[in-house]
Amino acid sequence: MMDARFTLWLFAVSVATSALGGMLGMASGIFIVPVLTIFGHVEIHRAIGASLISVIACSCGGAAPFLKSRLTNVRLAVVLEVATTLGAFTGVLLAGIVPVPYLFFLFAIILFVSAQQMFAKRRQLQAGAPDQGCPWATALNLHSSYPDRELARDVDYHVQQLPLGMALMYGAGLVSALLGIGSGVLKIPAMDTGMRLPIKVSSATSNFMIGVTAAASAAAYFMRGSIVPSVAAPVALGSFAGAVFGAHALIRVSSDKLRLFFVVVLVLLGIQMLLSSFGIHVS
Amino acid sequence: MTENSRLERMLSGLLGYGVWLASLVIGAGLVIVLASTNAKGMRIANAGIGLLILLPISRLLLMLIVFLRDRDYHLALAATLVLSIILAGVVVGIRMAGALGG
Repeated sequence: MMDARFTLWLFAVSVATSALGGMLGMASGIFIVPVLTIFGHVEIHRAIGASLISVIACSCGGAAPFLKSRLTNVRLAVVLEVATTLGAFTGVLLAGIVPVPYLFFLFAIILFVSAQQMFAKRRQLQAGAPDQGCPWATALNLHSSYPDRELARDVDYHVQQLPLGMALMYGAGLVSALLGIGSGVLKIPAMDTGMRLPIKVSSATSNFMIGVTAAASAAAYFMRGSIVPSVAAPVALGSFAGAVFGAHALIRVSSDKLRLFFVVVLVLLGIQMLLSSFGIHVS
Repeated sequence: MTENSRLERMLSGLLGYGVWLASLVIGAGLVIVLASTNAKGMRIANAGIGLLILLPISRLLLMLIVFLRDRDYHLALAATLVLSIILAGVVVGIRMAGALGG
């Protein structure tokens, strides 16, 4: 039978990570699996299944404001989703074969890359001139515009290097299915640096896509019976509650101190995941 | 442009209300489990999880319908491909469950 205290612990942890992640504009998925495996001693495949469900909840829960403010490029999203879901499908096929220590090791690498990205801060690259737009993106009519609040007008942007973007998205989908994360850590550089999207468009479109990417692997795991409701239900509910709370929080924290705190947390979790991959458990 | 923002309004409504509905079902299931340690509660929570997984899939269906109606066949093909890949994953999942013996 289900332990009520453990259920409440799962719920509370998910609320906290999701609300804190939301304040920094990052998905909480990256914290769920390490916290569940290290502190909750949840088996990693169960933690991954639960995390995927929470990724879907956060993506769907956060989509409406982005869509209403016309930041999400839904046309580009569905084209890129061909690559992310194909990656997720490959991940589902590999999930049963990849040994557990490799999963911990891969997770540690993703945590270190996230820490590095958070430390370096995102910056806007020079937007490409219209004639530099990718011909594939032009043929599919993926270029668009978004309302810029500071300039108080719509700004046009052109999608570049669509084939490179698709290749990176395949990798992001694969990692998402293997580790149960949204892979924003891989999607955002692909969109910022590769396709040269404006940062706000890139964040909104990534948030929109991660729901479908996670659903592709979650649907397969659900049918296989490897999503355990006693873990996944409190985690999903807690993440959604945390996301709602984070979105309505009066305090918008963007201070460098908090960012540095998260960098340290990511590195520490990464070290513990690395140790776990070698079979060393501290806690 | 107006057509496009209409699709976006529909999507935001579907995802926004859908996630609340699925969360309410999951929450109701958990409350039943905690209050009565009834196995029925866990089945309700599991149904809520299923609803949550169906949500992004149904937004793909909605996009497919809108693209077809607008005769935007390239994008309709993309939506169809994504749905087919998800379906292939579901088939693999069912087969794996069979291989595991349930």
